[in-house]
Amino acid sequence: MLTVPVEIFRFKPGQAQRYDTFTVEIAETAHVIDVIDTVWAKHDPTLTFRRACHHSSCGSCAVRINGAEKLPCIVRLTDVWNGRNPIRIEPLRNFPVVSDLLVEVGDFFERMSAASMTITCEAEGFLPLTVDTFAVAGVLPKTVELPDNLSRFNRFEQCIECGICMSACPTMATDNKFIGPAGLAAIYQARHKTDDPTRVKHLLGLADGEHGVWRCHSAFECTEACPQAVDPASKIMALRRELALRRLRKMFGLRI
Amino acid sequence: MSTLNYSKTRQAARWFDVRRRKAGMWAYALNRITGIGLVVYLYLHLGVLSMLIQGQSAWDAFVGLARSPFYLALDVILLAGILIHGLNGLRLAVTGFGFSAGAQKALFTILMISGGIILIAAALKIFQI
Amino acid sequence: MIERGEVAFGTTGRNHCLLHSGGRYCVTDQESAIECIDENLILRRIMPDLLELNDGLFVAVTESDLAFKERFLEGCAACHIPAHEVTVARALAMEPFLNPTILAAIQIPDGVFEPFRFCLSFLATALKNGATVRTFTEVTDFVCSDRNPTGVKIRDFRTGKTETIGGDIIVNAAGPWAGEIAAKAGVSVPEVPTAGVMVALDCRLNNMVLNRLNKPSDGDIVVPQRATSVIGTTSWKVEDPDLITIPPEHVERMISQGEKLIPTVRRVPMRAKMAVARPLIAMTGTDARELSRTFECFDHARDGVNGFVTITGGKTTTARAMAERVSDIVCQKLNHKAECRTREVPLTSYRFFFERQNVLKRRALAQLQTSDRPNIGFEERT
Repeated sequence: MLTVPVEIFRFKPGQAQRYDTFTVEIAETAHVIDVIDTVWAKHDPTLTFRRACHHSSCGSCAVRINGAEKLPCIVRLTDVWNGRNPIRIEPLRNFPVVSDLLVEVGDFFERMSAASMTITCEAEGFLPLTVDTFAVAGVLPKTVELPDNLSRFNRFEQCIECGICMSACPTMATDNKFIGPAGLAAIYQARHKTDDPTRVKHLLGLADGEHGVWRCHSAFECTEACPQAVDPASKIMALRRELALRRLRKMFGLRI
Repeated sequence: MSTLNYSKTRQAARWFDVRRRKAGMWAYALNRITGIGLVVYLYLHLGVLSMLIQGQSAWDAFVGLARSPFYLALDVILLAGILIHGLNGLRLAVTGFGFSAGAQKALFTILMISGGIILIAAALKIFQI
Repeated sequence: MIERGEVAFGTTGRNHCLLHSGGRYCVTDQESAIECIDENLILRRIMPDLLELNDGLFVAVTESDLAFKERFLEGCAACHIPAHEVTVARALAMEPFLNPTILAAIQIPDGVFEPFRFCLSFLATALKNGATVRTFTEVTDFVCSDRNPTGVKIRDFRTGKTETIGGDIIVNAAGPWAGEIAAKAGVSVPEVPTAGVMVALDCRLNNMVLNRLNKPSDGDIVVPQRATSVIGTTSWKVEDPDLITIPPEHVERMISQGEKLIPTVRRVPMRAKMAVARPLIAMTGTDARELSRTFECFDHARDGVNGFVTITGGKTTTARAMAERVSDIVCQKLNHKAECRTREVPLTSYRFFFERQNVLKRRALAQLQTSDRPNIGFEERT
């Protein structure tokens, strides 16, 4: 068992924001979400935060741990605690704070809706393992030939709509209408799921708008912070390339 | 329900907040700092050039001042800003159109190292004058 | 609807994500198995975009598993679960990391869902149809007339405000906390909060849900989801469902059992581990593992308390059926004639759950700016 000090951001409407420090007794093997759960269950039931799956599938628990955006359900306590200083837990940035660690995600989900990406898709490879740990585990092969007479497997999209990229993006901080990395990555995914020209035009139009891909100023923090290897930055750049090429072709009178 | 929102200034300060961030964010912050610096320099430069209107003596006095080591050091800083902003601009132009976005960190490192080499060479040259 | 935390804050959020075909219970708990396959087919229809549908395999690893095969196939037939045996070669072709020494494999229509969005889409649909959902709000007490509950006192954790709301009938659907809520109304519910441990790996090792071809036991199932595979589960009774301490030996048991299905399991780093209490219905003299996974609705009129109904037990797969059962009972008690339509109505996008609050908030704000009337807040207007 460890005795861990944890400093949690607190805010309730009409009150000043503050940090509360709790000392939590917890197993060495615990994840940071267990620390938050313990604070809530044993110390202060008025602490508001989101949680659901505890294994990085729902994306609801995203917070900032010692200043960096993380999913506390997959961050080990011992990886973020130096044994002395309190672990600091704060809500995501660039979202209005409703109460404590809880942020208002209505705007964010509205953008994800506009991008109209469904969360299921056809699997790209046989066992598409985007996470590098595959190499760490030393288990290969990465992809296997699909046996005959077998249809492709079905998958959930990698993006779990946790909002971490929106919090990590410095451009987001000064343009709250910016569609943002998650939304633009979703537009990219939706665009590559369809061949319908009207839909492609609509999606590209969305990306080309005032608050679309051209607002990105290449900090690449979305890709660095993403817990699910979605790589929004590359997707934003790929959308830009497609838009630029289309415009060039149009300029020279070529059919798109 | 009333929510907690931060002021625009405080939000804008996040452009420069590189704590716990990676290379891309350093590049982003540096680009903004050098960008603002270069704009300020442009106006100073125009101001200095306007001394020409006051005739040759005023200009000669300034040139004499500009040859002092302090001014030469400022020149090196100016060059550093130009190099950082310009070379990083190349990186942004390349990655910004979807080429080698995955290699942005490597590109940043390579460009900054080459920028550093150019800067050292140029600084030696400047102080030889 | 009043929920103490965010949607899916409790048991449902932390489940195994398995869309049951019923195969798991077709020998030991056929009532539950039939509920599962029926709901499986309904959910495929009403939330097609929210399911990863790759089927599941029940594989025989040992001779005793193989001996179970006939009983399993008979059980599937009895519960109308479409099951067919596939050759070991084909099973291994579909699942390259499956234990190569398996003796038999049976394919059944298991699937995978995502608990948070599963709950959100039901609630989004409810919102669209006029429901009010209050999250981060706790029921602190009941308001009673004689012994009959007529309302609840609630506290919003976000604002700290308390208020009292009335109701003709109050439904207690608090899962493993149902006993706690029922006690506030002065009745008891025969329920045993039974926890289970799940271990998520750092990469995905299977396409389909993999089960041991045998009676349900510890660590006999590996459910794949997104970029992870989740091994589960164990089963033990807990006192306090709020905070469950994960026994380290249970984690080790997950790995050692999981290894029998997928030998690579031990070499992959662990991504997360979690435990949550299931709300099982108590039966005298049974072990936690043997308790039925079926659900039951208790009308507390039998305890002399009117206007209070508890629904408990069940599984996420059968959540819709549970809601249908309880709303039928509520309608009956209120003499309201209405058909439950949730079998047919496709669900609204889960994103609507959050968007809706946003849209209403903007509308309330606009109203505040244009009128002198006191703003009653968007929560009350929903």
